Amino acid sequence: MPNLDTGAAVAAPTDARIHALDHLRALAMLAGVLFHAALAYSPLMHAFWPTAYRASSPWVDALAWLLHLVRMPLFFLVAGYFTTWLIERRGMTGLMQHRVRRILVPFLLAWPLVHVAMSAATRQAAHTVQNPSPFLSMLREWLALPDSPWMPPGTGHLWFLYYLLLFTALVWIARTLGWSGLFIRLLRLGAARVALLLPLLVLPGFLLTTTPHPAPESLLPQFWAVALYGPFFALGAALHGRLDTLQRLRRWLWPMLATCLLLYLAFLFQLSRFGNEDWMRHAPWSTALLQACIAGWGTLAILVAGLRWLARPNAWLAYLSRSAYWTYLLHLPVLFAVQYALLDVALAWPIAFLVASGITLAVCLLSYELLVRRTRLRHWVG
Amino acid sequence: MNAAFAIAGVSKRYPQFALQDITLTLPEGQVMGLVGVNGAGKSTLLRLLTGLAAPDAGQVEVLGQRLPEAQVAAKRRIGFASEDMRLYRGQTLAWHIELVRRIYPEWDSAYAASLMRRFDLRADQPTGGFSHGQRVKALLLLCLARRPQLLLLDEPTTGLDPVARAEVLESLAEVLRDERRSVLFSSHNTHDVEQLADTITFLHGGRLLASADKERFLGDWRRVLCLGDAPDALSTWPELAQVRNAGRQIELKVRRWDDALPERLAHVGLDVQRIDPMGLEDIFVTTVRAGGAA
Amino acid sequence: MNRELNWPTIRLLIVKDWQLFQKQLAAYLLAAFVALAFLGLAKPWAFYIGSLLLIIILVAVACFAISTSLLTERKEQTLAFVMSLPVSPLDFTVAKLVGNLATFLVPFVIIGLCTALVIFSTPLPNGLMVLTTLVFAHILLAYCVSLAVAMRIESEGWNTFVMIASMVMINPFLMAIGQLHGVSGVARGDAITWSGPVLAILSAQLVLSLSCLAFAAWWNGRKPAFY
Repeated sequence: MPNLDTGAAVAAPTDARIHALDHLRALAMLAGVLFHAALAYSPLMHAFWPTAYRASSPWVDALAWLLHLVRMPLFFLVAGYFTTWLIERRGMTGLMQHRVRRILVPFLLAWPLVHVAMSAATRQAAHTVQNPSPFLSMLREWLALPDSPWMPPGTGHLWFLYYLLLFTALVWIARTLGWSGLFIRLLRLGAARVALLLPLLVLPGFLLTTTPHPAPESLLPQFWAVALYGPFFALGAALHGRLDTLQRLRRWLWPMLATCLLLYLAFLFQLSRFGNEDWMRHAPWSTALLQACIAGWGTLAILVAGLRWLARPNAWLAYLSRSAYWTYLLHLPVLFAVQYALLDVALAWPIAFLVASGITLAVCLLSYELLVRRTRLRHWVG
Repeated sequence: MNAAFAIAGVSKRYPQFALQDITLTLPEGQVMGLVGVNGAGKSTLLRLLTGLAAPDAGQVEVLGQRLPEAQVAAKRRIGFASEDMRLYRGQTLAWHIELVRRIYPEWDSAYAASLMRRFDLRADQPTGGFSHGQRVKALLLLCLARRPQLLLLDEPTTGLDPVARAEVLESLAEVLRDERRSVLFSSHNTHDVEQLADTITFLHGGRLLASADKERFLGDWRRVLCLGDAPDALSTWPELAQVRNAGRQIELKVRRWDDALPERLAHVGLDVQRIDPMGLEDIFVTTVRAGGAA
Repeated sequence: MNRELNWPTIRLLIVKDWQLFQKQLAAYLLAAFVALAFLGLAKPWAFYIGSLLLIIILVAVACFAISTSLLTERKEQTLAFVMSLPVSPLDFTVAKLVGNLATFLVPFVIIGLCTALVIFSTPLPNGLMVLTTLVFAHILLAYCVSLAVAMRIESEGWNTFVMIASMVMINPFLMAIGQLHGVSGVARGDAITWSGPVLAILSAQLVLSLSCLAFAAWWNGRKPAFY
C-alpha cells in the first residue's frame, strides 16, 4: 500500500520501527497490485470482474482472498500509526496540511482521470474484444440499449484515499471531543486481550456487508467499511509510542499464523458452499466471525513479523515504499488496459498473470522514475 | 504632572439610577481607592473610565485620550478587571493568555509566568474549574502581564480568602513601585484601600461625597468622646459630621479636626474625655449617614 | 467618533469564536457523517433517517452558533472580558457578524455540498436540487434574521422565540413552494430548471438575508459605547 505519510517532504525516518512499518506498507502495495491482477483468474469473480480471463483456477481464490482479508486492514493500521506520528511532529494543523497535499489533492485530480481512463478502456473493450468476460458481454448489451442504465459514480480503487480522509476527519473529531484515549485504554489491557478483542471489534463490519467484502466505492460513507477498517486505524493510532505492548505476541507469532491458516481453510470451505443468492446477502455469523478472526489475528501477526524481520533498512523495499503511492494510483487503469488486451490472447493463466502484473509494474515504476522521482510531483505523490 | 484620568461634570443616567455631576482626577503614578456601597455607582464610573459607557454629560479623558471616541487607543494601555467578568469556562488559562498576548504587544511572558507561580495557577486547567479566588487572580494576571499604564479594578479582593487577598495586594503593591503606572480600584474593604491608596474617593447614590489624599482624610477625622449636656446648636457645627448622645456621654465625629476644637467644646460645657483617630470604614459610614460631603 | 476598524483585533476575535466553536463543529461533522452513511445504505427507511438528521444538524448549527457566540457570552459574563479588550462597538459588531457567519457557513456549505453529492450520485432525481436550494436558502434567511435579532436584543426568551419561529416557518414555506410548478414539476425529473418564480424567491431570500446582516451591522456599529 502507498507510502502516504513518509513522503519526500518529511525528514528521513531513523527509527527501525518506522523502517519496518514503511516496508510493510510497500509489501502491502505490491500485494494490492498482484491481488487486482489475480482477480481476472478467479473463478469466484469470473461473473463480475471486467477483465475476467477465459482461464481461471481455484488456487487463485485459495490465495487471493487471504490477501484480501489482511492487506487493507494492515494498510489502515499502519496509516493510523503514521497519523499519530504526524500529529506529534507537526500538530493537528500540520496533519491537515499534509492530508490536503498528499491525499485530498491527488484524490481529486487522480479520481476523474482514473474514472475516465477506466471507463474509456472498458467501453472500448466491450466493443472490440472477441473473447469478452461475462461483465463485458453484459456491458455490450447495455450499451446497445437506447436508454443505457445509469451507474452512479464511485471512487473505484481510490476508495482507500476517501476513507483515509474520512478517518483523518474522525481523528480530529475524536481529539476535539476528548475521545482520543479510548483505544489507548484498550491497549492497557495487554497484548493478549487486544488480540482477543480485535476480531470482536471488527465483526460488525463483516456482518454488515457481503462476502467476500467488496471495495467500498460509494461516494457516501459506508457503515460497514468504517466498522471494519476504523478499528484497525484507531489501533494503529494508539500504537504509536506503544509498540512494545505487542512484544508479548512475538512468541505467539507462529501459532497465530497457523490458526489464521486453519480458519482460512474453514472460510474457503464455507465459500465453496455458497449458493447464488448468498453472494448478495450479508454474511452469516459464522462466516463473518471467521473473517474477523483472520483479518484481526492475521494483521497483528504480519505486524509483529514485520517489526521483527523488516526493521533493517533495505534499499529495494525503500524504493518500493517511495514509489508505492504513485504505483497504486496508476496501476488499475494500466492493469485493465493490459488485461483487456490479453483477453484475446490464449495463454496459460499463470503466464497471463505474470505478463499483466509485470507490464503494469514496469509501466508504473518507469513512469515513477520519469515523471515523479526527480520532479515536483514527488512532494505530492512520491 | 500628567493625569492618568480626568473626568469633569460627568453624568450618566439609567432608568433606576443616575451618576451625577462627577468631577475627579487621578494624577499619573497615583493609586485611588474608590469606596462605596453596592449600587453607589462604582461600576458605572469604571465603565465610563474604560469607554464602555458613554456619558450623558461631561467629559472623560483617560491617558490623554477622550472617551468613548478613542476607547480603542485607551484600552490598549488600560488593564480592566471587574467583579462581573468571567473567562471562557471550557478553555484553559493558557488559551486566554495566548489570546491576550496576541492583542497586546507589551505582554511580558516572564512576568506572566512569575505571576502564575505566585498565584499558584495552572495554565493547562480549564477556567471553568477555577474557584472564585483563582478566577480573580487569573483575571488579574491577564491584566498585569500586559503592563498597563492604568489599572482599573472593580472589587479585586472581594470574596477572596486571606491568602489570596494577600497575594493580590502584594501584586498590586509591586505595580505601584513603577511610578508611571496608576491604579484605581473599588472596594468594600476599606482596610485594603487604606493599605494601598494614595487618594480615597467616596461614592454614594451616584454622587461624589469626597475625594482627597488619604493622609488628609485620616488626619482630618477624629472621634471625640465628651461628658456633659450637648447644646442643640452643636449639630449645626459644620466641622461635626455626627453627634450622638447616650445620656451625659456624647460621641462626636469630627470631619475637619482643628486643634482649637476641644477648647470650643469646653466653652459650651462639654468635657472632652478622649480624642481618637478614625478608620476609613468609620469615616465612610459616617459620611454616608451624614448624607453630605466628607 | 473614530470609525476605523481595528482589523488585527477583529481577526483575533473571529479566531477566538472559531476556536470556541470547535467542539460543536466536531459534533456536527460526526452527525453529518452518520447521516450520510444512513443515506449510503440506499434503503427507504435509512434515507428518511439520513435526510432528517441532515435537517436537524442544519437547524442546530443555525441556532447554536448564535446561542454560543452571543447569548451564552452574555449569560456567562464573558462579554465583559471581551469588551475590556481594545475593541470599539463597531469592531465588536464586525467580529461577531463575521465570526458567526463563518461558524454557520462552514457546516452549512459542507452539508449543502454533501446533499448535492447525495442527489447527483444516487438514483434521486436531480430536479430535487431546486427544492433543496430553496430550503437551504430559507434556513440561511432564518439564520440571518435570528442573528440580527440576537445582536440587538439581550432577552434570551425573545431570541429563542425568533429562532424557533423562523425555523418552523419552513413548514408553510415548503407547502407554498410545493404549489409552484417550477418546484413540484421539476422535482421528479433529472433536469434542473430554474423558473422565473423560483429565481425570484431565491433572490428575495438572499437579498433579505443580506439586508438583515447589513441592518444589524449598521444598527450595532453606530453605538458610541457598549453601555
